[in-house]
Amino acid sequence: MAKKSKSRLPEKSGDTISPEYNGDEVFDEKSYVLTPVDRKRAISLIGAAIGVGVLSTVVSRFIPNPPVPEGNATVRSIPPLQRGDMEGDVLIRMQNELRRAMARPMEERRWLMVIDTRKCVGCHACTVACIAENKLPPGVVYRPVITEQQGKYPRQVTRFFPRPCMQCDNPSCVSVCPVRATWKRPDGVVIVDYDKCIGCRYCLTACPYGARTSDFGNYYTEHTPEIQPYEKQPSHEYNKSWSREGHSSPVGNARKCHFCLHRLEQGLLPQCVSTCIGRANYFGDANDATSLVAEMARASNQVRLLEEKGTKPVVIYLV
Amino acid sequence: MIEKLKTSIECFRNESLINKIKILWLFLFIPGLLGFIIKFASGERLTGYGSYVPWGLWIAVYFHAVGISGGAFAVGVIGYLRGVRGLRENLTTTLLLSAVSLVTGLLAIWLDLGRPFRAYRVMVSPNFASMLDFNAWMYSIFLGLVALMLFLSIKKRAHGQVNDKTGWLVPLLLLGVVLSIAYPSQSGAFFGVVDAKPFWSSAILPVLFLTSAVTSGASALLVVHYYLQRESAALTSPDEEPFPYLRKIILAGIAVYFMGEFSEYSLALWSPISHIKEVILLVLFGRFWWVFWVIHVGGALVGFYLIFRSQTIHRLAFGALIIVTSFISTRLNILIPGQSIPELKGLKEAFTHSRLNFNYSPTMVEYLITMFVVAFGLALFHFSREFLKFYIAKQDGGQQ
Repeated sequence: MAKKSKSRLPEKSGDTISPEYNGDEVFDEKSYVLTPVDRKRAISLIGAAIGVGVLSTVVSRFIPNPPVPEGNATVRSIPPLQRGDMEGDVLIRMQNELRRAMARPMEERRWLMVIDTRKCVGCHACTVACIAENKLPPGVVYRPVITEQQGKYPRQVTRFFPRPCMQCDNPSCVSVCPVRATWKRPDGVVIVDYDKCIGCRYCLTACPYGARTSDFGNYYTEHTPEIQPYEKQPSHEYNKSWSREGHSSPVGNARKCHFCLHRLEQGLLPQCVSTCIGRANYFGDANDATSLVAEMARASNQVRLLEEKGTKPVVIYLV
Repeated sequence: MIEKLKTSIECFRNESLINKIKILWLFLFIPGLLGFIIKFASGERLTGYGSYVPWGLWIAVYFHAVGISGGAFAVGVIGYLRGVRGLRENLTTTLLLSAVSLVTGLLAIWLDLGRPFRAYRVMVSPNFASMLDFNAWMYSIFLGLVALMLFLSIKKRAHGQVNDKTGWLVPLLLLGVVLSIAYPSQSGAFFGVVDAKPFWSSAILPVLFLTSAVTSGASALLVVHYYLQRESAALTSPDEEPFPYLRKIILAGIAVYFMGEFSEYSLALWSPISHIKEVILLVLFGRFWWVFWVIHVGGALVGFYLIFRSQTIHRLAFGALIIVTSFISTRLNILIPGQSIPELKGLKEAFTHSRLNFNYSPTMVEYLITMFVVAFGLALFHFSREFLKFYIAKQDGGQQ
């Protein structure tokens, strides 16, 4: 360690140290003593900076979400399904309940999903159907199926937990977005505005369920002679047409399950629900007490994933 | 072949420091430029990060550069006000180093964005509830302040006063010190607010980030002052200011950082039910054990020894260079392992794809871009200084 620091001044500027290094000023090396004016100005500046910081943070929490259509503009008149031969099927019942729900404005609906793990056989049909419906590229998945194994063979239990977006009531992914590109709609669905998202991926890290994936612009057939036309087809998420050609959004954006909002608009159940061969998924409006999903949500044998995180997930699992 | 290599090394050793830096810069810039072109042609297709580990090497570079910026400013300006020789005469260098490091860091994160040309939205459509946006605004305000301080400090040249004639330079510097301490701490808060990652959600993180920033910022300042003295052929001894001032801060910074890190790791390892033990074991003995033991611990030990014991200015500067480079491990060891353990067990196996993986390794493009970012920072620092010299000379000429 240095024995004693020598901080003597050069005899004149540029003497022991060249002017280029030392500048051409000759300073007093004493510690600068703040004058009352300095103090007053510094305190004002620092106080103003802290004030602006606190104010902007507080105000920011009260800024409403970007406007989404509400009221009569969201009411849909969907003709009833004529399938007399399948009257007892839960899908037909949920479809009719969906029609009823869509006849009310958005703010009066609250979409809910219940997954009965005792009925799920782990076929992954929902995962694949979701990929096909939303034209998901490689590495983007909205609904993987998690396998949980307990015990050891032969006393072993295997359960499957399909994992869509939990559409949390207290979503940790929303508040971290620096550009307000994601928010929770009045009907409970957390959505992403692909036109606003800058692709910082903060929301991906903030979601404890890993329910958000980023579109890195890959194609399944990219190392073949030709990228197949079916991969270039636009998706219809959020009721818009999204073509990924030419690095357009949603390439570079965060993507997630949205309960197939574009299908709901047409009176169709989310693709994962329609596809489930075990009828393990229940979907509908939680505000409709007579609906099947509301009935299932009242069951006592239910769990929600990572409840301790405080995100208040909406998706319920029956075990 | 070996003879040729030996001759080349000998030639390199005989070159002046400026030429050596130029050669090393070209070694960084040429492959870096190639990486930059590849990145813009291929987007993010050739990157190694994915959806489960969405932040990789570039984010570590960003936070390291931001740390250097804040640390260099705080240490340099406090030295300026305290009358530390070398720092008082070179306020513009401190300001430039801080601004250039910050801009370099911002380039790294800009390149990391999925839609980089929408970055302006952070300013026009802000959400201050997001730590990212809060930081972005803080950086912008800080850069504006640095520009103002540069202007005032150049204007007051040759007056021999610490404050300028208007009396605003010192108050602005004090505000700058507060901000330069705030934003590296906020980098820690940036991770700390992510409750989804238990390893990040720790109150000690902002303190560790600030300590790392001060240590690496002071090291960068020391390296820069060594370079400035070499450049003007006026080397002093390690006992002359600003080196004793800087070396004390660096040594204290290293000690405090490792104490903080030890307290966090030892608590988690001691506890039988710690929820971050798995991550810490990954840091210590996982695939990237060498980042912790070789770069982080090894780099800090060698750097500490050189800075503590050096009798020559060259070895002192080399020690500081080791610290300023190896301290990127303080970012990497928090950033990557924190993302590598899923909260939902079984998620990794649920859908197989290279982007849906919890094991992250940087790709060649990521390394090349990192080289580009470093080369950009060095070039920006050099040309900013040249521009300032030119500007000052022009002003002086005009006055005469």
